[in-house]
Order: sequence, then structure tokens, then C-alpha cells
Amino acid sequence: MVALRNSDKKLAHMHIGGQGEVSHFTNERMASKLIAIGVLPGTRIQVIRKAPFGGGCYVKADNLLLALRRDEACCIILR
Amino acid sequence: MQESKRVQVALIGNPNSGKTSIFNQLTGLQQKVGNFPGVTVDKKSGTLTLPNQSSVELVDFPGAYSLYPTSKDERLVVQTFVNPADPNFPDLVCYVADVTRLEKHLLLFTQVKDLGIPVILILNMTDVATQEGLQIDTGRLSRKFSVPVISVSGRTGEGLTALKQAILDVSEESRRPLADNLFYRLSQEEARLVTETQELLPHLSPYQRILVAHHWETLSGLSDQQREQLGELTSQIGFQDLPLQVRETMLRYDTFTPLVQQSIQQTRERGNSLTEWLDTILTNRLWGPIIFFGLMVLIFQAIFAWASYPMDLIDGGFANLSTWLQQTLPPGWLTDLITDGLLAGLGGILVFIPQIAILFLLISLLEEIGYMARAAFMFDRVMQTFGLNGRSIVALISGGACAIPAIMSTRTISSWKERLITIMVTPFISCSARIPVYTVLIGFVVPNKSLGIFNVQGLAFMGLYVLGILAALVAALAMKWILRTNEFSFLMLELPEYRMPVLRNILLTVWEKVKTFTLEAGRIILIISIVLWVLASFGPGNRMEAARLTALETAKEEQLDPEATSSLVASRQIEASFAGHLGRLIEPAIAPLGFDWKMGIALITSFAAREVFVGTMATIYSIGSDGDELTVRERLAQERNPLTGKPRYDMATALSLLLFYVFAMQCMSTLAVVKRETKSWKWPLIQFIMMTGLAYLASLGVYQWLA
Repeated sequence: MVALRNSDKKLAHMHIGGQGEVSHFTNERMASKLIAIGVLPGTRIQVIRKAPFGGGCYVKADNLLLALRRDEACCIILR
Repeated sequence: MQESKRVQVALIGNPNSGKTSIFNQLTGLQQKVGNFPGVTVDKKSGTLTLPNQSSVELVDFPGAYSLYPTSKDERLVVQTFVNPADPNFPDLVCYVADVTRLEKHLLLFTQVKDLGIPVILILNMTDVATQEGLQIDTGRLSRKFSVPVISVSGRTGEGLTALKQAILDVSEESRRPLADNLFYRLSQEEARLVTETQELLPHLSPYQRILVAHHWETLSGLSDQQREQLGELTSQIGFQDLPLQVRETMLRYDTFTPLVQQSIQQTRERGNSLTEWLDTILTNRLWGPIIFFGLMVLIFQAIFAWASYPMDLIDGGFANLSTWLQQTLPPGWLTDLITDGLLAGLGGILVFIPQIAILFLLISLLEEIGYMARAAFMFDRVMQTFGLNGRSIVALISGGACAIPAIMSTRTISSWKERLITIMVTPFISCSARIPVYTVLIGFVVPNKSLGIFNVQGLAFMGLYVLGILAALVAALAMKWILRTNEFSFLMLELPEYRMPVLRNILLTVWEKVKTFTLEAGRIILIISIVLWVLASFGPGNRMEAARLTALETAKEEQLDPEATSSLVASRQIEASFAGHLGRLIEPAIAPLGFDWKMGIALITSFAAREVFVGTMATIYSIGSDGDELTVRERLAQERNPLTGKPRYDMATALSLLLFYVFAMQCMSTLAVVKRETKSWKWPLIQFIMMTGLAYLASLGVYQWLA
């Protein structure tokens, strides 16, 4: 996997409305499930809102609406 | 003997592909629920009649994203599809994809196609696609994927005739599709594995062998020798599970994404503005939870209050039927068995149906609209703390009305561990059957006074509910630490677009839930209620008859009227019955809790249902079996301890008894449902020990401290 560059961002750290393109994943097990659902390197992803009580976030990946836990969003690196 | 097995058709697809709608359209009321061998996943199957009047069996598999499973439900698909000896191994697969998300929904399709099983690709939601301005070239898709492609709408039923014809055509083809031309280029390791497993796994296609090499540790249907050799071979080749899986998946996307893009045209800008607009409110950090709790209050109100009308009708109907039978049939034990055993049991089963039907009507409505996924998202974090799932909150809240439909509603939790914990702790939540017991006893614990604007008894009532909730959360935490699982926990939940609900799907869910409860849990409830009837109606030797005669004599001496006489007889007889003897037998065990043998009898009989406590107390204290909460409480208040002369129901005893009913598993119907949902007696047994054990300790502690 590519080393973190300055322009790389974790999805979990994005603000609401922030968007980017998936660069790679930092956890292989999470990656395998994310890819199966349809979040792949190159997918456009946007944070739509954060969950009440902290934690998860609600994202739009291409035309797919997804709920992710914080640790799941943490392993997605955007460029 | 004719050994022609019916053609098996498997219906599979991603979650939210609308697969169940199509299944319901095709099978309607012909569907039945059974078991997949060896797992706790329900198997929904149904008969499908084809255009030539022959019939095939259609099996609805759980939704899955890929043949690399992350939950028990998903594992079932790969487990069945790589084992031709499995009774559910399909002759033909109908793969359902949401045509509006085709580029996300074809991964599993390409995997299934590579297995070498004939596949039909079903493009669902064509009605929505037309609205959104999508144009699909099905002919091109069919050529590129070399499978029949059928456009349907599970909502309107459009295209289903063509689908049936396609199933007929494909099932009549004797030629198996070639399984050598895969959707992706094998890696060196995979190519080597395919060559070297040819003899070890003789009846499997190359891709099936690759999947077996990935999953051999968890697959059933492999011999020990095969396992051993697969273990050796994979480590020798350097066959790494995850990296190969990710590589394969990415290559599959690379193959099918361009094919999809060439076959689909977006004629105008598409926007899912309605869903996004609704979600700005429904999943808002503040309003989201408020609206959710509002909906839950509505559901709670529905099962708590609205269900009481049909429930009273059922109760009353059975009471009338029972009285009528008693007057019509000749007196004797057979009549008693029919009225007090059989009818009481049947009534006890049917009385739950309104609650089950109403709960599932509302829950499946919310599910069908797409709201439940949002609730799971909002509460995931909080529930995770206790080892539960976002969806558990629905079960916990509806458990406040009745644990039975609540436990049945956990079916949508895909992680087995989270589902099991939800099932195990839900009965701790105080259900409506505990209210009569609380009502009788609470007056002995706290006075009926006001504290500011609050009624003290009302506060105590609330305290009992809070205790139940706390017990559920603590038990969940404990189980979270104790239970081990090799399942990796994910949320990664697709939030489907809000859609108008399809009434057929909702009604079929309600029908299925009511049917499984009545047939499967009902059987157990009927048996237990007959056992309880035997315990209360028969005694060792001729003790019952002797008790009747002495009671009649006493009544004569005291010149009691006929009603009081029969109450006295009933009271003396239950003392002489097996239940009475059991009550005395367990007295040493419950004496430290402040209970005497009469309460012991009530504990035993109220295992049928908690509210039976009131009726039993009425019988024991010869009030007549129709005594309500108020008369029973007055009678209990007069009861004196024969040794001390002080009130039998002092604060310590009453509080101890109350705590017992808060925690104890006093409900055979719940246990029957837990058995049904976990498919084993192990979990209801553990649940019984956990809950009743906690109840015993709590009562023991409080009684010893106060007395």
C-alpha cells in the first residue's frame, strides 16, 4: 500500500459535505467487505452526515447510500 | 420407485435487490419456512408452476454481497453452492440485481456464473429505472454475459411470465454451461491450486475448488482427509486468503463495469432528492432519535393497547367455550383435560397472535419503506457498547409489551452473536404480563401516597421497569464478554432509498410470523400447559378425593353457600395436588426468600404465564377463580403468618416476590419462541438459569436484608 501523503485524508476525518475519491484502504478485512459492497479505489465518496450519539457516518458512494462505523470510515483513505 | 427429484431453483442477490418481492410474487401463499441443515438460518421455499404446468422448488437464499461471506447468512450461500451433494444445491440460479445500481450489484453474479451452475440474470426495479430515465440494452447484456437476461418489476409483477418461461427453457437444457472461461485471470497460486485439487475435489468446477481452498476451515461437507490435504496444499502454494480475495474482486469489477456501462444509458439527470431530503430530517442528530422514539411509542401503544381488544375477545371466547363444554360434556377428567388443559393451552397460544400480527405489521411496514436501516445506523454506536446491534433497540422496546413478538423480530440482525444476545436479554424488559403481578404486590411495599406531583406507587412501578432495563443491559454486557465468535463485526449498511411499501410483502410477513409461532412455538406451549394442568388437577394416591370430601364437610359445618363451597374445594384440592406437593417440596429452597409453599404453587403455575399468578392466588385463598387484582390484594393483606401472627405479606416478602417477578424467566411461551429462533434447547435453558438465578439471588438478598 502507498505511504500516506499530505493530500491523503481519512474518510472519518472529513467534515460533513466533504468529498473525495477512494485511494486505498488501510485494513484488508474491511477492504474486502467494502469492495464487495461497491466501495472501490476510484469510487467518489461524500460525507452526508454524522450519526447521532457520535461514531458513525452516512456517506454517498457513487449512487449508493451507506452507513459506516467510525473504524470502517477510518480505513478508507481518500485522495 | 420413481426417483425424480424436483428441479431446485435458487433465488439469490444482494441485500436490497428486491429479491423477496420477486419471491413473494412468484410463490405467494405457497411459501413455507423450513431449515437449512445444520444452521440457524430459516429457509424460505415455495412451489413455482411453470408455463408447461410442471413445478419447480424455488428457494429464497439470504441476501449476500459475495461468496466471501462475513455473516452466517452469507456463509450459507457459499456453503451450499460449492457442495453438489447438498440437498439445496441448485440446478438453476435466478440472480436478482437492482437495475438502478447494476454496476454495484453484479459482483456476486459473476462469481455464481463462474461456479458452472446455469444462471438467469433478473434485472429488478425496471419501473423505477423507467422513471429515472435509464435505458437498458438487455440483449447486449445477455450476449456479453452469455446468460438469459429478464427485466422484471417485483412491485408490479411485470415481466414475471417471461421469467417463468426462461426458467422452463433453461431447466430443459441438458447441457451444463462451461465453467472454464472465468470472469477474471487466475493468479499463479490459483492456477496451481486448480490443477492440484483436480483429484482431491473431483466433482467440483475450477472456481468451486478455489472457493473451497478459501473456506475449507468453515465448510461442512468435507472429509477430514480433504481438510488435511487442503491445509497442506494451501500453505505449500502460499495461497493467501485475503490478498487473493481482494485481487479477484477487483479484477471482476474491471471486467464487468465496462460491460454494464456499454449496456446502460442515462437519458436524463438522475437525483434521489426525495430520499436525501427525508434523511436530513429522519437521520438528523436531534430530530432523528426523537422521531424514532415517537414511532416506537406508537408501536408500543399498538401492541400494548390496541391488541388488548382482540386479545380480550379471544380470552372471552375461550372462557365461554370452556364453560359451555363443561356444561355440555359429562363431568370427569376428560372434560377437564379438554377445558382446563387443551383449551387453556390453545387460548394461551392464540392470545399472542394479535400482538405478533400488529408488531410485524408495523415493523415490516417500516422495514419495507426503508426506515429500519436508518434506525440501525442511528443507534449502532450506543447498542455496540452493550454487544448489541442498532436493530436490537426495536426488540428491546417492543419487549416492553411482550417478549414473544420482540424476539421474533430479531431475525433481521445479521450478526449471530448480536442477535443471540438480543434474544437472551429481551425478556428482562418488563412485559405487560408482569403488570397484574406488580399491581397486586406493590401496595404491600409502598403506600398509596403522593410525593409532590408524583404518586409513590407510580414511582415504584417505574423503578421496577428501570430494574428490568438495567438487568437487560448488564446481562448483554456480560454476554458480550463471555461469548466468543469468529465473526468479524461490521455495520457497512446500505441505506435503501425510501419507497412506497408493497402491501403484499407486509401481509406475507405477518402471515409467516403468525404461522410459525402458532405451529412451532404453539406445540411446545400446548404440551407445557397440559403438564401444568396435570400437576394442578391430580394428586398422589386418592389425596385429591380426600381433600374434596373434607372440604365439603367443613363447608357443611360452616353452612357455606354453594359458591363458597366450590371455592373451598378448589383451594383444598390444589393444596393436595402434585403442584401443591411440589410447592411444599420447594419450600425449603424458597423459604430464605420469604416465600411459603402457597407462593411456591403460584410460582410453578405462573410458569404458564406470569399473570396466572393472580388466578392461582385467588384459587389458593379460595376467593373463586374469577377474583381480580383488587380482591386478591385484600385477601392477601388479611393473611397472617401462623407462627408470628404478623401479616404474611409484609414489605420484605412482597418486595422479594416483586423482584422475583422482575427478573425470573416465568414464561413458557418465551422459552418456546427462543427454542424456535435459536433452533436448540441450549439457549432457552441457559436463559432460564440466568434469569431465574438472578431472580433468586435478588430476592434472597433483599429479603435477608429487610427481614
